[in-house]
Amino acid sequence: MLPILLLILTVSACNDSPYMQGKRLYTVRCANCHMEDGTGLSRLIPPLATSKLMGGAAMACVIANGLRDTIFRDSVYLPREMPAFKGLSSTEVTNIINYINHTWHKPFTETTILEVEEALKACP
Amino acid sequence: MNKFCCLFITAWVTVVMLLSCKSPNEDLPYLGQTTQADGKTVHHKVGNFSHYNQDSVLVTNKSLADKVIVADFFFTSCPSICPKVIREMMKIQEAFKDEPMVTFLSFTIDPKRDDVARLKLYADNLGIDQSRWYFLTGDKDATFDLANTFFVAAFEDKDAPGGFDHSGKIILVDKEGHVRSFSEGTDPSTTPKLINDIRRLVDLYKANQK
Repeated sequence: MLPILLLILTVSACNDSPYMQGKRLYTVRCANCHMEDGTGLSRLIPPLATSKLMGGAAMACVIANGLRDTIFRDSVYLPREMPAFKGLSSTEVTNIINYINHTWHKPFTETTILEVEEALKACP
Repeated sequence: MNKFCCLFITAWVTVVMLLSCKSPNEDLPYLGQTTQADGKTVHHKVGNFSHYNQDSVLVTNKSLADKVIVADFFFTSCPSICPKVIREMMKIQEAFKDEPMVTFLSFTIDPKRDDVARLKLYADNLGIDQSRWYFLTGDKDATFDLANTFFVAAFEDKDAPGGFDHSGKIILVDKEGHVRSFSEGTDPSTTPKLINDIRRLVDLYKANQK
């Protein structure tokens, strides 16, 4: 019984991100466009891994307020807008940011709720 | 586990696999209601359409009479399921990039915003083969009615993301206008079966030409 339990724990530990709420929120709010694997869709929806917003709290404003006609990748204009997710708390935004950065940005540094709250206050 | 046990399990698995496999030559089913008229079997057909594509070319059932159609219903500003469905359409087009018999249609259910220019920009940014994938705009109500004949639900709903509610099915229509298979565009695990069904249908037409 014990080996089976250990195996289950090992498998679940290997598969799961430490940011489970972030993962769930990403799946529900973000993955329809950015896809489960974060690769986006051609030149319509940008991939996350190569975004300049990766790595810290900088993406908090984009998640909370969206983007409109300002999405570029390299020099290519992407005609889509990104919807705002105004209903998210700063904790939820933090969890999404940490899930995204942990999954697609190396080296990973954890973003704190305080950093996100500061970033949200400074949104244009 | 002894040898007999292994043999028994192997035999049992083989029997189950044989029973669950269909012959690759078996005809695809005709989906929808089938009726009898004058002693003949009449299968459900998709409705007539007359829509402009991203190059302002009028596309109709007649202009695609010699094509197998793979279709979905979408809108360019769709914030919910459309990108996932389009990604599956791209996978299917890639699988049939060398098969001119297969044509892809994406009907917009938001023609007010999705004019020809916007559809062109969308297609350009997708980077797909536009010679065999048409993004189509036409009368809104006619498109909603058309979607029903493709067994796709599509209607305006101010509470839905983007203002429209619709299902993400990808539909396979044969040269005669009959619906022969479909996949759930939001579920990538259903795409391989649709690709297989398209291949079977194309092979059937080719076999009948010989």
